[in-house]
Amino acid sequence: MKPVPFEYSAPESVDGVLALLGDDAKVLAGGQSLVPLLNFRLARPERIVDINRIEELAYIRGDDDGSLRIGAGARQAALERSQLVAGRWPLLSQAVRHVGHPQIRSRGTVCGSVAHADPTAELPVALTALDARFHVRRGGGARTLDAAELFAGPLTTTLAADELLAEIEVPALPAGARCGFSEHARTHGDFAVAGAAVVRAPSHAAIALLGAGWTPLRAPAAERALAEGAPAEEVAALAAEPVEDAHRAALTRALVRQAVEEAGA
Amino acid sequence: MEQGGDRSGPGQARPLAQVGRPLPRREDARILSGASRFLDDIDPEGTLHVAFVRSPHAHAKVLGIRALGDELVLTAGDIAGHARALPIQLPEGAWAADEPHPLLAVDEVRYVGQPVAAVLAESRALAEDAAELVEVEYEPLEPVVDPYASTQELLRWERAAGDVEGAFEAADAVVRGHYSMPRVVAAPMETRGAIAFNDRDEGLLTLWCSAQDTHRQLRNLAHVLERAPESIRVVVPDVGGAFGSKGVLAAEAGVVAAAALLQARPVKWAEDRLENFMASYQGRGMHADVELALSREGRMLAIRARIVADVGGYLMPTTAMPPHTAAMLMCGVYRIAAAGIAVSGRRTNKVPTGPYRGAGRPEAAYFVERIVDDAARELGIDPVELRRRNLVRDFPHETPLGWIYDSGDYGGCLDRALELVRPERSEDDERIVATGVGMYVERSGGQFESAEVERAADGTVTIRSSSSPHGQGHATTFAQIAAERLGVDLSAVTMEFGDSALVPAGTGTFASRSVAMAGSAIVRAIEDLEASADGRHGSARFESPLVFASGAYAAVVEIERATGRLRVRRIAAVDDPGTIINPLLAEGQVLGGTAQGLGECQFEEAVYDEEGQFTGASFLDYSLMTAAEMPPVATAFVESPSPLNPLGAKGIGEGGAIGTPAAVGNAIAAALGGASLDPPWSEDKLWRALQAPAPAAVPRFDVVTAARPAGERALIVLGALAAGALAVVLVRRRR
Repeated sequence: MKPVPFEYSAPESVDGVLALLGDDAKVLAGGQSLVPLLNFRLARPERIVDINRIEELAYIRGDDDGSLRIGAGARQAALERSQLVAGRWPLLSQAVRHVGHPQIRSRGTVCGSVAHADPTAELPVALTALDARFHVRRGGGARTLDAAELFAGPLTTTLAADELLAEIEVPALPAGARCGFSEHARTHGDFAVAGAAVVRAPSHAAIALLGAGWTPLRAPAAERALAEGAPAEEVAALAAEPVEDAHRAALTRALVRQAVEEAGA
Repeated sequence: MEQGGDRSGPGQARPLAQVGRPLPRREDARILSGASRFLDDIDPEGTLHVAFVRSPHAHAKVLGIRALGDELVLTAGDIAGHARALPIQLPEGAWAADEPHPLLAVDEVRYVGQPVAAVLAESRALAEDAAELVEVEYEPLEPVVDPYASTQELLRWERAAGDVEGAFEAADAVVRGHYSMPRVVAAPMETRGAIAFNDRDEGLLTLWCSAQDTHRQLRNLAHVLERAPESIRVVVPDVGGAFGSKGVLAAEAGVVAAAALLQARPVKWAEDRLENFMASYQGRGMHADVELALSREGRMLAIRARIVADVGGYLMPTTAMPPHTAAMLMCGVYRIAAAGIAVSGRRTNKVPTGPYRGAGRPEAAYFVERIVDDAARELGIDPVELRRRNLVRDFPHETPLGWIYDSGDYGGCLDRALELVRPERSEDDERIVATGVGMYVERSGGQFESAEVERAADGTVTIRSSSSPHGQGHATTFAQIAAERLGVDLSAVTMEFGDSALVPAGTGTFASRSVAMAGSAIVRAIEDLEASADGRHGSARFESPLVFASGAYAAVVEIERATGRLRVRRIAAVDDPGTIINPLLAEGQVLGGTAQGLGECQFEEAVYDEEGQFTGASFLDYSLMTAAEMPPVATAFVESPSPLNPLGAKGIGEGGAIGTPAAVGNAIAAALGGASLDPPWSEDKLWRALQAPAPAAVPRFDVVTAARPAGERALIVLGALAAGALAVVLVRRRR
């Protein structure tokens, strides 16, 4: 379990990173998914571009417009400890506690988890429920995507090889919003099998599902029912309906119900 | 803790009463502060590192091997004059095919991960790079995955005693069941590994090896190299767990030794986790058709069983042991006058099986205890009452199969387990709660161990034991035994083990036998010292027949109707290990064994697809219990001393792994109204059973082929790779 030989660069600036990205390069942030893939010799990039030296990327801050901004270098542990996040985006605080173990969260980054696009990862699902926007940079350009535009399949995003997911923007929650997050994993810290993230406010409802498809999925029919005040059991049944495997659907239904109840609906 | 037994051996003085003290492990400060020395910490100057080219096929002919790189590559042909296949060890009365594990594949591969060639380079990373440049031409053959579909028997054993046929004919009730324990991996925290160096001047080959003990490695290596044992030294450094999987010489370690004979440099193989999943022998993999004949009153008259063991592609040295142990324990803790048991070890295209914590005992306990509960349901007798009517109560007790249970208090264990577990049975719209009991008897002891004791002028004592630890706490328990007998402080005792050049001959650390055998050897060596003229030196070799530990476990489980999720609410673990030297370490053994047993209950299973690929062969898919999943475990001990050794000790290393699956299995069967499901009791399996209209017998092999989301994580990764999501090239086809 040793990686194949690769070139290693650790630029000091974002521009330096962007200059090195391209077809045969991979960004190394926390390395919690990339390094095992390298060790299995399943990932065989020619160049690793390490962004850990760029201190300006390691931020979690509130913006003047009321949104939350998470830089590419921000660790999951920083998200977990953030009082700002706990107070205003509690769904992220709830979700991040389910990511691996404390050792993994101390190295793993929020943006890295999103860019890895595992359909059973917690943070992409929570960010999908929160209508997050993803700011992408490349040499001489930038663009912004929403979750549906970013996540393309299992471990697959629409990020080009020369693009860096530089920042995640999470809009302010509607007034009076409450959140719920639930998941089932075989053991604590294991990859989840199924799960749900729920945001509920007087005129707003969002439900995102974990493990229900190849990307984080919103459940529009269930969201409408929730917004109209339907009971949790009915919302859960609607959310789980499209899930093909019968047992996974049953699990999803139970977890959505739990998350909806946790959100006080 | 129970105070049932008399802790002191016959006529022994106990000046400082060290035996029975719950002392923390003396070795922990050193290990936890990082001062320990594991195999991979040993790095002799000039070492060559080995990476293995392993078979990607479950079954194929090897047509040719071509090395395209510059590094040294060894194939079966290169080591043919220096080493032969591993030996096969057979239990009494067993027949085995002459199909030992070759060190390197000769012209055929029989499981995914089988070593085909060894690449030697200046570092492991370079060796792995070079291994990719070895081209092996294969002609794939049809793999056999299901042992019941296998037409090749590698192992056979049969025994019948008492009037089995007559008892079945005269019985008021005959209960039949089919029960399985799937294959699982041992997954020790430290993987396997070996370093070999041949000192040509001294004529001494030294093997450093992550192993359970020195003696079996040495004997196996002497066989493989056809070399005098005196010309081999085996050193076992600190070992980070084994659970049975490091009991015999690894084929890879044999290759390392052969390579060292060809090179003037040390040769090292430090196994990685991927290799450990693929190529370390697995445990369990036993299936049984069991029949129990009873009278109307619930008297057990005879038991009959056909055990099929999924032994894999070859026989490792100890592959035959677990099925034999399971067979010999098929009378369980009960007075049954007649028994007819047959074992068939079937060749499949999987890694071989071998001992894993319990090694046949968990299988026997599961098979016997499940059918006892099925019989109780059939007869309408309470399962605890049915047990009470049949428990062995007088010792020694010889079973019809020929083993002699030396001591025990089976009824006492059962009473205490029920008291501790507080049985529950309830059912509502959300969940079903039920209780199950599982009893066991386990063979321990047997064969021999040795010890040497030296007392210095300043009163300090050095003890060299033939038994070496891999997590058991020998440095503490053995020192307690010695300090008490010698009347000295614990700090005056130094323990030495793990180097065949320093310690006397012995058997090994397995089967929960260390205290009973090696501890007793220390007692005898001290007696020898005290009888000696100068009082400075003593030595002894201690041997005894088998001793039999026992226990009763009980579990309360809860199944969530909506999802099938299993929650083990609590476990009661009552073990009778004979005299306990250190109750703290004894309880640690119980908790560790229980955790592994619960892993088997909840999710552990080596699932193979129809191509013979182990689909969950990494921690991406294969889960182990963590502290967070552990339910409360109430432990208690009953101490019935063995009359067969001076300590009265039997064994404690495996009880948790033996009793837990039987108890949880019976609790689940009770919750499902008698439906027969085998471990692991995953949420999807339980949920599907709850959807079934009525509790019906589950078809025989559903459990092996059930649609568990096995290998799902690996599939996601590989699926994404196939889609080109990561800039990667797959050189070797893994699935």
